Amino acid sequence: MDEDAPTRGGGRGAGLTLTEEMNSAMATVTLKLNGQTIQAREGCTILEAAKEAGVDIPTLCHHPALAGFGACRMCVVEIANEKKIHPACTYPVSEGMEVQTETPKLVQLRKFVLEMLFSERNHYCMYCEMSGDCELQNLAYRYGMDKWTYPSPNERMPVDGSRQYFIMDHNRCVLCRRCVRACDELVGMRTLGVKGRGSETMIIADLDVPFGDSSCVSCGTCLQVCPTGALIDRKSAYGGRNADVTKTKSICTFCSVGCDTEVVTRAGRVLRVDGVWDGPTNGVLCAKGRFEPLYDTRDRVTSPMVRQDGRLVPVTLDEALDAAAECIASANGGGISALATANAPSECLDSFVALFRNKLNASPAAIEPLLNGLDLPANGALADLDSADCIAIVGADPLEDHPVVGYRIRRARNRGAKVVAVAQNGASPSQLASKGAGAVSVENAVAVCRSSQWPVVVYGPGVCEDQVGQIKELAGAAKFLRLDPAANAAYAARMGLANGSAPTSADVAYVMIGEREQNGEVAQRVANAKRLVVHAAYHGPLTEKADVVLPAPVWCERDGTYVNLEGRTVSARRVLTPDEDVLPETEVLSRLSARL
Amino acid sequence: MAKVKIATDWLGGCAGCHMSLLDIDERLVKLLESVEITSSPITDLKHPPEDGVTVGILEGAINNTANVETAKQMRERCKILVALGDCAVFGGIVTMRNLVSMREALQRAYVETESTVEGQVPSAPELSRPINKACPLNQIVDVDVYIPGCPPSADAIYHALSELLAGRVPVLTNENLRYD
Repeated sequence: MDEDAPTRGGGRGAGLTLTEEMNSAMATVTLKLNGQTIQAREGCTILEAAKEAGVDIPTLCHHPALAGFGACRMCVVEIANEKKIHPACTYPVSEGMEVQTETPKLVQLRKFVLEMLFSERNHYCMYCEMSGDCELQNLAYRYGMDKWTYPSPNERMPVDGSRQYFIMDHNRCVLCRRCVRACDELVGMRTLGVKGRGSETMIIADLDVPFGDSSCVSCGTCLQVCPTGALIDRKSAYGGRNADVTKTKSICTFCSVGCDTEVVTRAGRVLRVDGVWDGPTNGVLCAKGRFEPLYDTRDRVTSPMVRQDGRLVPVTLDEALDAAAECIASANGGGISALATANAPSECLDSFVALFRNKLNASPAAIEPLLNGLDLPANGALADLDSADCIAIVGADPLEDHPVVGYRIRRARNRGAKVVAVAQNGASPSQLASKGAGAVSVENAVAVCRSSQWPVVVYGPGVCEDQVGQIKELAGAAKFLRLDPAANAAYAARMGLANGSAPTSADVAYVMIGEREQNGEVAQRVANAKRLVVHAAYHGPLTEKADVVLPAPVWCERDGTYVNLEGRTVSARRVLTPDEDVLPETEVLSRLSARL
Repeated sequence: MAKVKIATDWLGGCAGCHMSLLDIDERLVKLLESVEITSSPITDLKHPPEDGVTVGILEGAINNTANVETAKQMRERCKILVALGDCAVFGGIVTMRNLVSMREALQRAYVETESTVEGQVPSAPELSRPINKACPLNQIVDVDVYIPGCPPSADAIYHALSELLAGRVPVLTNENLRYD
């Protein structure tokens, strides 16, 4: 897809600062809606004004998180002294305007459009996954559609199942282009598009390749905006209608963005994770937050375990805690190495520090590198990327490690902001850099930022010592967004956790690793410890070496707060009850502390 | 007052809509005080009487030459024709076979299904022949009243019949209007 196309107007959040939005909110116009006099913000659409006034105008292609499009004609309204009818989603209000939203003429037109939509492709509800929650079906119910004037559909459309997490069934597609617009306006990827004209029109990826072979990042935003059963989530399909499920507001805990989520559960099972439209990330999630947690096939630690005769055997929690306390108490003189993942919620880190620093005088450390030691500012917010005219990426790979930040940068680049990526040894996030900018030297990046009005520096764990000094010169002029490798790194830093990347020589090691991947590198750090206690949700190389294993809950099994990369405190909620042997880390640590 | 005559029949369907009709339950007894069911697939008499009925009800899509004949006969012999269920109204499940060729559909249904042993596509001359594309009732004959649903609920059917008996054109709303 075209990379550096000019800014497309109308996109929400496309450069409007909060102040500008507030100023424009102050000017109002007076209009009549179905005979009732209302006030509306100048420049807003008839649809927005009606919503504000509590008048429900039907929509199909419109989505509140996307710019008005006017494709489906469901929201058409009659305006006094206008010959034509107009779509409410794109038509701006004006002083003295008189609008009718539900006249017999409009109702007839909407029915006509609905009958056309239903007879174009396969919209038989009885075996559709979306039936009950489908926006097309709801509109047909609303307008009492009890027949089609046109012949039933006969054309068989392809079904694309080439992506791991969700399926595109073209038979159910109404070509509203919400997916195409979400991919562009919200995610900035521009993977999706259309080919053909009229009834030959098809949603395609890139230059019409299978979705699984395309530049699609599987963020699932298109899946969430689809009004019909055209995009189908493999996990939650047929798992329950909106009326059957429980939705809990939570956050994603897989990186330090801390995206707002809505976790959808039914009968003790997580069906899916949705983004939250009015949250700071505009409903956008990435595959790591939306899909991957539901596909984790690692072996869960379901019981406390103690090593006996060389083998780990299940024991009661009390027995395991006794054994853990004995291990820790055995460290006389040789010291204790206490490592915790900075992906853990703040409450866990509090308990961890209370036990190991305050009570046992050890130096608790974080498993992941903490970037607060770099002495660089971290004063930026996600929204700064939307107003930036220049973004410099130093030592970070946002699309890989903080994908939602990566999408924001793509959005910025698409609307014309200059994006430069400082060359790193090995990989550079060249996918994000503006065309022609490629990988630049840090001097270049600083110079480009200096010549810009609203520069943002995005930095991560790959930033080198000499680069720190140079980008620090931009302090005051630029906003800095720190991409720590751990979800709760900001709080871990606040708690003064040390950098635990060096191998320890302590006698005893306690590792609270939670859900984090137990790669060999972490195991290597504690290889010298004579006794090892591991507090983990999954089995792995670390638990294999442990003397005591304490089970930990996973993301959806505990309440907890996190401090995200903007410094905001965000809350994760428990939506599932873990097995009875799996207690919150705070509880386990307090019981352990009572034994020491 | 003479009872209102009603005839029903099914075309390319699954009989589910007629099951839903029976699900009217004890209200059927009340209904039969003012209605005579002259013929239906679930009574002895199968064809609507030659002197006609007031209301004809058809379930199922038009799928073969026999369906066409049944539909036309019912249309000729009734004053008000009701399309009952998604197949009669929209085409429904039956029209899924339109998405493949007739040969493929027959091969799959009679030969390839997992439970079939040495199957063959029936070809006796006395059997009706499938029409090229299955279609809803209103593509073949004029329809007066539509009751969608797969199947329509007993309440929806009862409501529609009650409205017809009261001399009104039934309008289905809210829970009575469903496509699944």
